[in-house]
Amino acid sequence: MIQFKALLIKELKEAFRDKRALLVAMSMGLLAPVMIMVMSKTMIKDFVDNPPIYVKFSGAEYAPKLIKTLKDNNILDFADVPEEEKRNWQERNVELIIPDSYGEDMLDGKAIDIILRADFSEKSLNAPLRRIKEEIRNFSLAIGYKRLLVRGIDIKLLQPLRLQEQDTSLPSSNAVIITLMLGLYLLMGAFISGQSISIDSSAGERERNVLEMLLCQPVSTLKIVLAKLICSSLIATISVTLMLVLTTVSVSFVDLTKIGATFSLDGTTFIALLLLLIPLCFLAASMQLFFAFQAKTFKEAQSTVAMLIMVPTMIPVAMMIMDDKPVWTEWAPIFGQTLLMEDLFKGLPVDWQAFTVTTAATIALTAGLVLTLAKRLKSEKVVMSLG
Amino acid sequence: MRIFCKLWIVLTLLPISEVAQAAEDMLTLEHCHLEGIKQQVQCGTLQVPENYQQPDGVKITINFAVLPAIDNSQDKEPLMFLAGGPGQAAVSLAGGLYRAFNEVRKTRDLILVDQRGTGKSHPLQCENAITMDAYQTLPEDFSEQEVKQCLAELSGDLTQYNSENAIRDFDAVRQALGHQQIAIYGGSYGTRAGLVYMRMFPQSLASVVLDSVGPIEVPIGLFGKSAARSFQMLLTHCQQEPSCQQAYPNLAEEFTQVVAQLERDPLKLTIAHPRLGTNTEFNIDKNKFLSTIFSQLYSLEGRSLVPLVIHQASLGNYAPFAGLTAAGETNMEMFVGLTFNIVCNEDMPKVSAAMLAADADNSFNGGLSHLAWKTACPIWPQYRPDDAFYQSVTANIPTLIISGDLDPVTPPSNGDYADKSLPNSKHIIIKNGSHTPGVMPCAITIINEFLDKQTPGGLDESCLEEIPGESFMTNLNGGI
Repeated sequence: MIQFKALLIKELKEAFRDKRALLVAMSMGLLAPVMIMVMSKTMIKDFVDNPPIYVKFSGAEYAPKLIKTLKDNNILDFADVPEEEKRNWQERNVELIIPDSYGEDMLDGKAIDIILRADFSEKSLNAPLRRIKEEIRNFSLAIGYKRLLVRGIDIKLLQPLRLQEQDTSLPSSNAVIITLMLGLYLLMGAFISGQSISIDSSAGERERNVLEMLLCQPVSTLKIVLAKLICSSLIATISVTLMLVLTTVSVSFVDLTKIGATFSLDGTTFIALLLLLIPLCFLAASMQLFFAFQAKTFKEAQSTVAMLIMVPTMIPVAMMIMDDKPVWTEWAPIFGQTLLMEDLFKGLPVDWQAFTVTTAATIALTAGLVLTLAKRLKSEKVVMSLG
Repeated sequence: MRIFCKLWIVLTLLPISEVAQAAEDMLTLEHCHLEGIKQQVQCGTLQVPENYQQPDGVKITINFAVLPAIDNSQDKEPLMFLAGGPGQAAVSLAGGLYRAFNEVRKTRDLILVDQRGTGKSHPLQCENAITMDAYQTLPEDFSEQEVKQCLAELSGDLTQYNSENAIRDFDAVRQALGHQQIAIYGGSYGTRAGLVYMRMFPQSLASVVLDSVGPIEVPIGLFGKSAARSFQMLLTHCQQEPSCQQAYPNLAEEFTQVVAQLERDPLKLTIAHPRLGTNTEFNIDKNKFLSTIFSQLYSLEGRSLVPLVIHQASLGNYAPFAGLTAAGETNMEMFVGLTFNIVCNEDMPKVSAAMLAADADNSFNGGLSHLAWKTACPIWPQYRPDDAFYQSVTANIPTLIISGDLDPVTPPSNGDYADKSLPNSKHIIIKNGSHTPGVMPCAITIINEFLDKQTPGGLDESCLEEIPGESFMTNLNGGI
């Protein structure tokens, strides 16, 4: 025990000695909340705000009521574009063409073709075009309804079926746009934050010839590996905790009510999330150590571990694409945590069975890696990285 | 220290759980879905005594819904919505309110209580009155016979289904949900209920919004003068708007002419039933024409069609009128039993023959709005509120009063009564609004600001200027 304590203190000293490297390792935890805030703000702005749209009308004089309705909804004439936005809208070049027969055809009850011309593949036009189409559709529908009404027809006939949607998600669900990002960042945080420590304490120490010294001491290799593991996963855990705390703070600056959503993590959810993530931090550290020790050089270790980080980001994305998830995803490490995090964010009761199984699987995998590594470190080949 | 903590927990938990236990027998609250709302909301019931003088006597169930705030973290007091009528069921309006009050709902729960006698709170409904065929029957067909038949269907002690007991129920719901104070929004008759609430339980109310006021001083049910004013404004606005003026230069004369003609010879037409498509008899007389036009005056949407309907009728085309009749058949259920129970006992006794005559002396629909009361009230079971009920309300609660200038039933002069007697109020008149204009998006932002500031003065009312004036349909195919 004393031996182990000494080992752990040595590893922690090593890890915390280089403050700048540590700060960079932690930067994930500091940056992710800011990213989440900025990204969700922009998304909400695109989604909710109705910024002015400037359209080049031709034939506006034929349809004064239509143009007025559009103006009431912030869809304005290109002639009124303010100087600083002029270049943008000139490039976007949205045209609405109203035929000169508009008035006549309206009175005759004939269908009128109005032309909306724009580059429909231009991303920045998605929302404006959607709004223009919607307003014209509503305007047209309103006239249609009234036409039928004044002909003595019950306008409710136009709605034979009314679909009543009933959403069974709990009102306490957190905003999806936040939880998607946060879930991804948490997994990345767990896998990325400890990597520099892992590589340095394995491949790095080997190149500095510290590892030899360490293995000459009368301590078991298991203790050495465990000390390194705890140190690396501690950094990852701190980073993940930071991320959760800071996200809760940063999201409070975003007005999610605009999209009818909220974000809050109560104590129970917070603790449950940490309980899910800490085993993952250990798994990440053990994988990093394992592959870094396998590598022949520091450089190779770096590139191998960098590839490893792709794993946690790919899994949640793959899970998003997979609608029918096979049963094993509920307990497999990383897969299971992704699913459980989703439930926690939705405010659903935790499936403790899946929780236990996936955590156990994660710990088992970690233990397997640690034991294998401890065994391998007994061989000089591995220590001296003789191929 | 730890022992002390444990002791403290035990001490505080006990009384709470006892209280909760007692209230739990009375209160149920569960997640549910309501029509027109995709998200889950909460539905609840509360057992209350039918007669508050006999708390251990007969119990009735009060039905209510809570539309939860999107973001509840700020702990603002909820807003209770008091429905109109009298006889509207608040919970049935949930879908519309959910959207209209979106701005308020961002940070406040919205509480909707079915007033006793409506919805699922021991409803008083005259099935025969609401199942009358809209095309064949005429307003004067609602006879004593109908009223008696309706009374036979009603159950319970009718004298207890009054405004004051309704308020006792509302306050009981407030208490059961654990709110120290709430804000209330009353629309139409809901303002009368709101004023009664202010008088009975002022300490329960943080702030009050009264939209389209039915003040204590003005009996509900005399709509002749106010409807004539509203209709006159419609005629004026049509003449001021170039396209309407051009399409209907003689609208006032045409109106007089159609009414005179229907008075002389009521029409019996055969039309294609607006909904069924089969042939049906369509009876139109003066009263029916006027009461249909009258009901259009409530909303801007309805008003926009009135000139066209009058003009086409003057040409002998009653299809647009049939379309209006069809549109009037909404799913909006009015609990007529409660309407009569309250108006016949709380308002009509205060109306003298002279008042009726004065109200009937108008250029629009005469005494038509009194017809139903004259038929039902003489045979309706009686109760009388005590004098306190009719005192002007003087509660010192921040109150925002809203009126629509075009309103056919609660004109801005009504709002002035409340504004005069209340010490902490402000009266906003929305120039281009009709009945209950408080649910317009612009008004909702003002209401939301008021609920946060809790002072009726100094609110940002700039958006009211942007509400467009009336526009009218000028052609059977829509104008340009």
